Amino acid sequence: MTDAPVELYTDADIAGLRRRIKTWTCGLFLFSLLALGVCIALAALTTTGNAQRMELAAIAVSTVSGWIVLYCAIFTVGAARRELGHAGTLREGERQRVEGRVQVTRRWLRIKKSITALAVDVETAEGTKSFWVSRSRAKRLASARPSALWICHGYVAAYEVTK
Amino acid sequence: MRFFKNVFSQLHTFVLWALMSAIFWGWIFTLVTDAPPAKKITVYCYVPEIRDTELAVLLEEDKPDGIKMIQVHNFEYVLFDMGNIENGDIFILPASQIGEYEELLLSKAAGVKVYDAKTHTGAAASYLGYTDEDYYLFLGAKSVHLEDGAAQAVTDSLLEAP
Repeated sequence: MTDAPVELYTDADIAGLRRRIKTWTCGLFLFSLLALGVCIALAALTTTGNAQRMELAAIAVSTVSGWIVLYCAIFTVGAARRELGHAGTLREGERQRVEGRVQVTRRWLRIKKSITALAVDVETAEGTKSFWVSRSRAKRLASARPSALWICHGYVAAYEVTK
Repeated sequence: MRFFKNVFSQLHTFVLWALMSAIFWGWIFTLVTDAPPAKKITVYCYVPEIRDTELAVLLEEDKPDGIKMIQVHNFEYVLFDMGNIENGDIFILPASQIGEYEELLLSKAAGVKVYDAKTHTGAAASYLGYTDEDYYLFLGAKSVHLEDGAAQAVTDSLLEAP
């Protein structure tokens, strides 16, 4: 006997992703303003004697802070946005149930402008079938030891555990 | 390791940002360190070596009223843009170059000797790397500070500079 399907992306997960995006976006915006303020202050404090040093300092502050913002925007906020989009697709899409022995593998796939996924093999009566699970949810799926999966567009959307 | 992989995957973005940052702040500081001709005195020196920033700072210590900044440039600074040099307020030229830049000078005859090659002494000698010939100081023909006396005041400061 199995329990009701357990969603890989719960409402709390989605709310957490939204909160993370909001927090990081606000943080990066404030950090950018701070960096801009420092650069403006450097420009305002420029005199004939220190102009070269101030210019170099402003370029350094602007470049390094820009790199930090870009890195976080692409790899933290961007990743969370992609994850949120993926979760939305899984929650709304049509699903099919697959039953069998589930094994999360180390084979991975990075989809351009989307998530990184790990392959999930399911040994069914008809043979082994492969699906994908978001890397961020792979650990949760593997530790649950599911007996059946709910698949949406080739990705694991939910799982069932045998009692 | 993942950090470096991420950075490498977006290397073009980071390099582009660094270039944009350098160009933008370079432009901003060009604006910040400049002023309209009426608010600045520009000194052009035909010397192989020059401590332009230090000399400008020294001259600014006693700048005339209404003048926001004093700029000191080598002639190499305007090698590709003679438009700027035409509006120069003060010129320091070696005797051999006076004829070539005559049209920039208010009066060729009114030059003040600023360096004597025989005695190796001259004005602002610790800032200007004079060569082995006499140097003269001239006011610029198109200087906007001939009437208000600012160019003359800076000339006096220059002549007293060590």
